[in-house]
Amino acid sequence: MRYLLRRLGHAFFLLSSVSILTFLFAALAPGNYFDEMRLNPQIAPETVAALRAQYQLDRPLPVRYVSWLNSVIHGEMGFSFAYNSAVAPLLIARARNTLLLTITATLLAWGIALPLGVWSAERLECWPDRLLSWGTAALLVIPDLGLVLGLLVLAVKTNWFPAGGMAAVDFEDLSPVHKIRDLALHMTLPVVALVLSVLPLLVRHVRAAVADVLQAPFLLAARGHGISRRTLLYRYALPAAANPLISLFGFSIGGLLSGSLLIEVVMSWPGVGPLLLEAILGRDIFVVIGGVLFSTLFLVGGNFLADMLLYWVDPRIRTERSRA
Amino acid sequence: MRGRTSLAKWLIVLVVLHGIVACAGFFAPYDPVEQARGSPYLPPMRPHLVDKNGHFHVRPFVYLMKLQEGSFDQYEEDKSQAKLLRFFVSGARYRLLGLLPCRIHLFGAENARIYLLGSDAFGRDQFSRLVFGGQVSLLAGLLGAGITLLIGLCLGAAAGYYGGWIDDLLMRFAELFLALPWLYLLFALRAFLPLAISPIKAFFLIIVVIGAVGWARPARLVRAVVLSTKERDFVRAARGFGATDLYLLRRHILPETASVLLTQAAILVPQFVLAEMTLSFLGLGVPEPVPTWGNLLSNLQQYSVLVSYWWMYLPALAMVPFFLGYLGLASSLQERGKTHKIAKRSLGSLP
Amino acid sequence: MQPLLNVENLVKHYTKRTVSGARDELLALNGVNFTIHAGTTLAVVGESGSGKSTLAFCVACLEYPTSGRIWFDGRDIIQLAENERRKIRPKIQLIFQDPAGSLDPRWNALEILTEPLVLQGKFGCEEMEHHAYSLLARVGLPSEIGKSLPMELSGGQRQRLAIARALALEPKLLILDEALSALDCSVQAQIANLLMDLQSSLGMTYLFITHDLAMAAHLADDVAVMNRGQIVEQGPAESVLRQPQCETTRFLLASVPRLVGASPSARKQ
Repeated sequence: MRYLLRRLGHAFFLLSSVSILTFLFAALAPGNYFDEMRLNPQIAPETVAALRAQYQLDRPLPVRYVSWLNSVIHGEMGFSFAYNSAVAPLLIARARNTLLLTITATLLAWGIALPLGVWSAERLECWPDRLLSWGTAALLVIPDLGLVLGLLVLAVKTNWFPAGGMAAVDFEDLSPVHKIRDLALHMTLPVVALVLSVLPLLVRHVRAAVADVLQAPFLLAARGHGISRRTLLYRYALPAAANPLISLFGFSIGGLLSGSLLIEVVMSWPGVGPLLLEAILGRDIFVVIGGVLFSTLFLVGGNFLADMLLYWVDPRIRTERSRA
Repeated sequence: MRGRTSLAKWLIVLVVLHGIVACAGFFAPYDPVEQARGSPYLPPMRPHLVDKNGHFHVRPFVYLMKLQEGSFDQYEEDKSQAKLLRFFVSGARYRLLGLLPCRIHLFGAENARIYLLGSDAFGRDQFSRLVFGGQVSLLAGLLGAGITLLIGLCLGAAAGYYGGWIDDLLMRFAELFLALPWLYLLFALRAFLPLAISPIKAFFLIIVVIGAVGWARPARLVRAVVLSTKERDFVRAARGFGATDLYLLRRHILPETASVLLTQAAILVPQFVLAEMTLSFLGLGVPEPVPTWGNLLSNLQQYSVLVSYWWMYLPALAMVPFFLGYLGLASSLQERGKTHKIAKRSLGSLP
Repeated sequence: MQPLLNVENLVKHYTKRTVSGARDELLALNGVNFTIHAGTTLAVVGESGSGKSTLAFCVACLEYPTSGRIWFDGRDIIQLAENERRKIRPKIQLIFQDPAGSLDPRWNALEILTEPLVLQGKFGCEEMEHHAYSLLARVGLPSEIGKSLPMELSGGQRQRLAIARALALEPKLLILDEALSALDCSVQAQIANLLMDLQSSLGMTYLFITHDLAMAAHLADDVAVMNRGQIVEQGPAESVLRQPQCETTRFLLASVPRLVGASPSARKQ
């Protein structure tokens, strides 16, 4: 239990450090939202000055950070100049869409990678394994950008899938069943793109981890005892491979998030990605900080989940604890 | 040894590919910024050997494009106008490798522009822009990887060798960088820097940003190698002869990190080229008119381009042979590292 | 006469941080006292984990003891500043247990042999090579192996090379940390004889650390028995091994199948 609390404290420390650093960076950045406004002749300079004061852009740095923290606690997370609303509701709405995309892709990707990797590891260096190696290599050499754009071209040429967006124009008027179907159709391409971008590396790492375990002396000894292949795999090999695989899971979340950022922008999926890009181009500072923190939260949260899983699965971690 | 020959094979492939890009002026028929407003969005011209009458020609030729009947932007081959492909033609001036002034290009045609990969909205030759664009993207990837590995080496070695609070501090710092997905980190860093700057400044800025993003993983790997090498007996023995820290690092410990660094380089360079492509594609990288593989693709964000002009997608595949080369290089380096370790173990050194 | 080495009350703590973040304290040396006179061999015997290697590293100045004193040639080497200690280091050399691990796998024999000379700043290039070849001859290695890498040599050859390297700076005290344990039996005998030759020709002093009582009986003048970081019994080899006082010593003796080479008194013949 103390181990988990320590990991939780660690996660919290990471989040706060990232928030401080991002805030620092943002404050040091040249230019702000109001520079654009100042160039607009229709807005009086006094208005701009008043707005600047209102958003405390003239106060010293630590004061601004504290007032931002304050707004976080109140559930606002700062203010978006472009959308003229608190950042939090904006972010939450978009975050839901990103999570929908990313979690679906994670489940699908692992659902494919695990069996494929295990199957490949069992037949190491035989032709099925080599075939898979070539397949993953072929996917790996296509740049993510090329993959996403290629799928988009495919969508446009064949008209099987909508080329972007999350919902049809008449979404609200559809029956529930049709709503789900519409969502699924819109989700297909982004999910496929995301899965294809992380799948090859995932399969390779799963294969490597399982192959390592399958060659371990204790497994060879078990096989010598005449234990069936099925039992060998599920009760001996996979639990032993759980440690590297769970670490891999934590590690893969970063890749999935980065992939989802690009895919959302290119395929107009209304997630955190397009919001972040817009905010960067428009110098909407609090949205940028919010978006970056969201991704950190998700990554750190995912890793914490992985830590918990590891604690539960790997007895070595529990005994280290009890010895000390 | 099998490992050594496949390594050489991949190195040759990469050298050839990079050579082509380095000598872009020779391989590209035209200057990449040269516009031809009269020929926007021309489809690729295919070289033929057999003409419309069925005659075989030794020298390849292309048909010029003419507008289709009743269309204002769809082109088709004009079979009445054939242009022979000439090799080693004299064309626009350029500087080979940035030094020697030259005029010779690998191929071209007389009194006509050949668009092997089609043209863009301003009539610029996509093929030329592709080859020149590779210079910027590849250079960004290579330099970025260099910076990352340098930072990772210094910090990782310091953390591993001195241990204690230095190690703690550096590893916590590394964790911060690993706590953000790399693209978010890249965006965040890029976001807080000036947006509208000249291409040269943008280029160097991006290299620094890309280089600053990925140092944490190589640093950890270097640290692990340094930690384990530090405890080995031959390092202890050298200390027993009165070696200083710097000597030990320089002559015994850091050479052990070479294989890790090389493998990381082979993995990082394509990732960083991709990072530059992504940034430029989204308008955060090197701006027009300098071509990079990323901003060659940026007009694909318009639906009309996506639908009608499929050849604008082709630069996305430009990276594939390079990615393949680097993947092969990384694989064979990893294989070599593994066999080296097995050889060491079988000679009886303690684990 | 003043002993060459005098170890007083040596204590060494190790603190280790475990995965869960707690600190583990390990007491490796718990007040060790002994002396060695010049030209003699002291064997320190004990089981694994008794602290023998820690003792070796402390005396060789590769680890710093938590407390205690080490007097070498009349000077307390622990209290010295690092640049002073660097001058003393050539006089105390350590031969490691693993012959392959103690030689940098990327360097050839000549580079390995000349490293100590380079570090101490003695000799010019040509002189160094000459000195290296004479060292090879002294330990019985052919001069052809000068260009060989450690992985091309046998275990015995590697250990000879390590000894040659240690001799490069003309040490007075040679610490052998289980130096023969990783070698085959016949090779062990050869190296042991080489060591005895060097002792009689150069007047070397040995601190011989081992768990092999038979070898200790063969080589040592005095024996000290260690258990859990302390010396539980010490004295002339003959009396310790013939009339053990301590439980530990009796236990160690009992586990030796047969004392090879008969009694220690047969050694000098």
